[in-house]
Amino acid sequence: MPTSATTARSDDSIAREIVANRLLAIADEMGIVLARASMSPVIYEVLDFACGLTDGEGRLVAQSNGITVFTGMFSDQVQFLRRKFAGRIRPGDVFIMNDPYEGGTHTADVCICKPVFAGGEVLAYAVAVAHWSEVGGKVLGSLSPDSKEIFEEGIRLPGLKLFDGGIRQDAVFETIAANVRLPRMSQGDLNAELAAVRIADERLSETCAKYGAGMVRATFAELLESSAALSRKAIGALPDGVYTAADVIDGDGLVDEPIPVQVKVTVRGEAMEIDFTGSAAQRAAPINCSRSGLGSAVRAVFKAFAGPQQPSNEGWFAPLTITVPDGTVFSAQKPAATGWYFESTAHAAELVWKALAPLAPERFSAGSYASLCGTYIAGHNEKTGDTYVHLEPQHGGWGAGQSADGTGGLIALMDGDTYNHSIELVEAKTPLRIRQYALDTEGGVGAGRQRGGFGLLREFEVTGDGSFLYASYGRSETPAWGQDGGADGGTNYIELIRGDDTRRITRTPTIPLQRGDRIRIHTGGGGGWGDPKTRMPEAVLSDVRNGYLTAAQARAAYGVEIRGNAIDLAATAALRGTA
Amino acid sequence: MGRMATDVGGTFTDLVHFDAETGDVVITKALTTPADPSGGVVDAIALSGLPPAEVSYFAHGGTTVINAITERKGVKTALVTTAGFRDVLEIGRGNRPDLYNLNFLSPVPFVPRSLRFEVAERVTAEGEVLQPLDRDDVARVAEALRQEGVEALAIMFLHSFAWPAHEAECAALLRELLPDLAITASHEVTREWREYERSNTAVLNASVQPIVERYFTRLEGRLAEIGLDCPLLAMQSNGGTTAFAQARAHPITLIESGPAGGVIGAAIVGRAVGEANVISLDIGGTTAKCSLIEEGAPKVTTEYHLERTRAFPGFPVKVPVIDIVEIGAGGGSIAWFAEGGRLRVGPVSAGADPGPACYGRGGSDPTVTDAMCLAGVLDPAQFAEGRLTLRPDLAAQAYAPLAERLGVDTAAAARAAVRIAEASMIDALKIVSVQRGYDPRDFVLVASGGGGPMHAARLGRELNVRETLIPLHPGVFSAWGMLATAPRLDLVRTRFMPAAETAQDAVAAIFAEMQDEARAYFAGLQGVDTAELAFATDLEMRYEGQEHSVRFATDLARDDRAAILEAFHAAHERAFTFRLDDTPVEFVHFHLTAEAQVLRPDLAPLDGAGLDAAAARIGQRPVDFGEDGVQDTAVFLRRLLPPGFEAAGPALVEEASSTTMVLPGQMLRVDEFGFLRIREAG
Repeated sequence: MPTSATTARSDDSIAREIVANRLLAIADEMGIVLARASMSPVIYEVLDFACGLTDGEGRLVAQSNGITVFTGMFSDQVQFLRRKFAGRIRPGDVFIMNDPYEGGTHTADVCICKPVFAGGEVLAYAVAVAHWSEVGGKVLGSLSPDSKEIFEEGIRLPGLKLFDGGIRQDAVFETIAANVRLPRMSQGDLNAELAAVRIADERLSETCAKYGAGMVRATFAELLESSAALSRKAIGALPDGVYTAADVIDGDGLVDEPIPVQVKVTVRGEAMEIDFTGSAAQRAAPINCSRSGLGSAVRAVFKAFAGPQQPSNEGWFAPLTITVPDGTVFSAQKPAATGWYFESTAHAAELVWKALAPLAPERFSAGSYASLCGTYIAGHNEKTGDTYVHLEPQHGGWGAGQSADGTGGLIALMDGDTYNHSIELVEAKTPLRIRQYALDTEGGVGAGRQRGGFGLLREFEVTGDGSFLYASYGRSETPAWGQDGGADGGTNYIELIRGDDTRRITRTPTIPLQRGDRIRIHTGGGGGWGDPKTRMPEAVLSDVRNGYLTAAQARAAYGVEIRGNAIDLAATAALRGTA
Repeated sequence: MGRMATDVGGTFTDLVHFDAETGDVVITKALTTPADPSGGVVDAIALSGLPPAEVSYFAHGGTTVINAITERKGVKTALVTTAGFRDVLEIGRGNRPDLYNLNFLSPVPFVPRSLRFEVAERVTAEGEVLQPLDRDDVARVAEALRQEGVEALAIMFLHSFAWPAHEAECAALLRELLPDLAITASHEVTREWREYERSNTAVLNASVQPIVERYFTRLEGRLAEIGLDCPLLAMQSNGGTTAFAQARAHPITLIESGPAGGVIGAAIVGRAVGEANVISLDIGGTTAKCSLIEEGAPKVTTEYHLERTRAFPGFPVKVPVIDIVEIGAGGGSIAWFAEGGRLRVGPVSAGADPGPACYGRGGSDPTVTDAMCLAGVLDPAQFAEGRLTLRPDLAAQAYAPLAERLGVDTAAAARAAVRIAEASMIDALKIVSVQRGYDPRDFVLVASGGGGPMHAARLGRELNVRETLIPLHPGVFSAWGMLATAPRLDLVRTRFMPAAETAQDAVAAIFAEMQDEARAYFAGLQGVDTAELAFATDLEMRYEGQEHSVRFATDLARDDRAAILEAFHAAHERAFTFRLDDTPVEFVHFHLTAEAQVLRPDLAPLDGAGLDAAAARIGQRPVDFGEDGVQDTAVFLRRLLPPGFEAAGPALVEEASSTTMVLPGQMLRVDEFGFLRIREAG
């Protein structure tokens, strides 16, 4: 018979399991509250935010479903606040910060952080980071693709007390309101984030009351430890070695030239080092990321490898080292602009992805359209007489996996639980009409034994005067890569159509728009996986029947002859050389 | 004359009959006949021995619609959209909730691309016609549909939620050209915006329409054959009934018909005992479902998503459905170790076949029911009134590997599984209560299903509810709830209007128009007086700039503008912790609920004659109460307990479909209706 001591240990482990689930429930509830209370479409519709809890030392222990580019970023931010306010953190405090050089990404991502106390000590920090539609700066929407310094990208909040011991710091609120163009919207987003961290404080305190702060702390420790063990095990299963990948970033918006980037992944036992040495120097344009942005991106793709379905926390990243010299496009130094940091982080993530894909094919897919294709259409709204900002990340084609076709019209890796904008909402709220929203079958996808997913075609018509467009699309020249003999996918770009004139646009600062202008957005199809000549002919027939593919494409890319509604087996065998 | 309700479940078809004159209740269960569910219904009636001719009220619910959808058994269905938008159904919202899965697959649409057609037409958000409906295009599509041999069709045009004329014209034309097709225009099933959500709703409705049509026709035929000739009512997901004729046109409203019966049952129980605030909990073999009832009314929303999980977007269905939170933890749920050595329970269930290990039917996985068997809560000899002898030895065998891995004995391993299952039930109960700003201390917990009574006392204590209540016939509670439902219609209108510029008359006019629609809807229904409909009105409002709105009840006869605004600010603060008194507010959605006034059966008090507490006490056995230790526990037989009976926990109360557990430190009382009521002592 077991002793009572072992039974007690088992009871403790069950209680920790329950507390761990409760932490996730708290993070989820934070996310729900934030989305529903917010005033920015990019938050309530696109869900461009993340919420979570760190332990008392600032290590992430639970995160809501949100977007991946915030993976593990909270840790850097909370640790910065702990250093800055050492000895001065007290109950009732709430902090605000958005500095890319102190754990952040770009100025528009505003972090709200509230310490949670138990027995007079900090037990945890509740954190919400959300993309505000407006933080001031040189253009409406704050992120001009031609900013050269962070000072052009709006107000910078270097870690301030928004509430000090429960006392509202009016000076901070007023300063923010005076420096943004849409104060009510920004205030609304701030309120929503405050609601999220307050709910977390309440719920975590309830959990402490029931299980005790000691049990909650023990759960934190156990979560970090067990995740680190799983992570080490996943790395240990890979063969030791050095794996490399290279890619180019297609221009930065100021200079139209390929920007080479590269990675070297070293697997040694149960540790992994990811080294970006040799990647291009930082750019004058705002597609750079800071070290914290890079860390987030690499962690996202590492998590996809090590434990995709399990809750994220800092423990997963214990066996991971990221190396990069100062001053690269992945490690920009002050005061570089970082407004479009997700353009470089997408490439950092894809480099690691590409290097590891052959080692763990079940966890990876071929290359995707990758770029968030951030599109700002903003200006004067005749319908309301107000100023509007319509910000859309675009959805596109993902690469094929080794055993399934890629998914079409899906949001890129750097986002996550991110919705496209409803056409009916856009048309009701903005001076814009959408003429088409479709799978871009003409753009095509990477052929393969499994084919890539389709990119999208989305065409806007501007129905009023006084609007303008700015955007930054990557992967506009270099297509999504195919894997294991699969073909490359497509590219991303905008066609701006005015009368008979069509302009191809990829990264552009503000372009004034006229009534009747059409903005035709194309996102790329994903890469294929495996030799297209080995694709099941029935799958090719189904694609032809559904209009994803023409009979001519079926013949050329797949060696399958379709006649009428059927496969011509003899002709197919001849085309494939298997007759 | 009697009232009869039948509920078709996955395994059993339940029947409950209530004789309004004598108060007698008859219950039978027949096996469900999946190929043609009407067979199981008629079997249940035959088994009950009740004379069909004397049935004056017949309500019918079940899982036919949801099973047809989840098993992808809908008919061959096509979709017609505004030109340029046929792929909206496939693109969906493009979200990727399984964040780190680089092989993520989006939901596969219910209509393949080859059956999605476009026609030229275009209306703006403001209702301006940019392009009239091209009738030649429609005729071309009709020809293609004929060649494809489709059985059903959905139509989805942009902005039809507000401007339905083109959709209506297209539907009329196609109905003329293709009279045999089941056709659903999106505005006929939902009047809310968002094109993807509306088209998915229309498509699902169309795809099950021929199935429900055939099923209801057969059921009507069989019931007529056996001489049951009262009006037939279908249980809807909104907690009310509707005539079969209406349900045939809008079968998607039946999607959660079964569970809705249980929530209505809980509301009735609450009303009977004078508790308007109820949390209902129904624990079955595979899942636990909870729902919150405030002031006697269940929450009905149009936020339902089929098959949604934390990692999968699911399919939106924008029809009124009682807000039910469902989790994968029930009696058959299996305990297992996840990667990293964490003990989990569910969502995989041993189901009815083979069932838990202790059933001795070949199951070998450790389930929650096995844990309850090991704890002594279930009496091996008396389970299901002795129809099945449980095998604790097999339950112990099933738990042995878990025990070994945890380094404890099997009893402790079983306790751990129960604790984990109950923790996820608590989390679900908190989602419907605490997370939505309700304090459980203001509520009673009504627990049903085969598993509800076993876990209720513990869950009630953890949640800190005022009282925990086990209704009569917990094993057929959904059918029991359907007995007392009334015909009901829920309507929603989306109109954006700044509160400052909107006259009270304009609000009243919207509700008046909806009331007219409701009267027209009920006009054909036998036994319903359209002059006597009970209307309830809810508003959804938001601060200017917000997208999501907050819903609250209003009564225009009572509330002036200031009262409406104050109600909104208060509701917002409850939901989101803050209010913005100086920010402009706008109207978004207008909800009208219309319920027919029908004679509802009064709950009859329990007749104490022949009931005897001493005889009810059938034994005593040691029971493992987890954190309260192993206790020698008195066992009672529920059908012999007289009203007014009281006992201190620990205690067990056994009945055919369930066992109620009363914890040490709790008091059990049998009330005048025979409900078991559990409170903390002292």
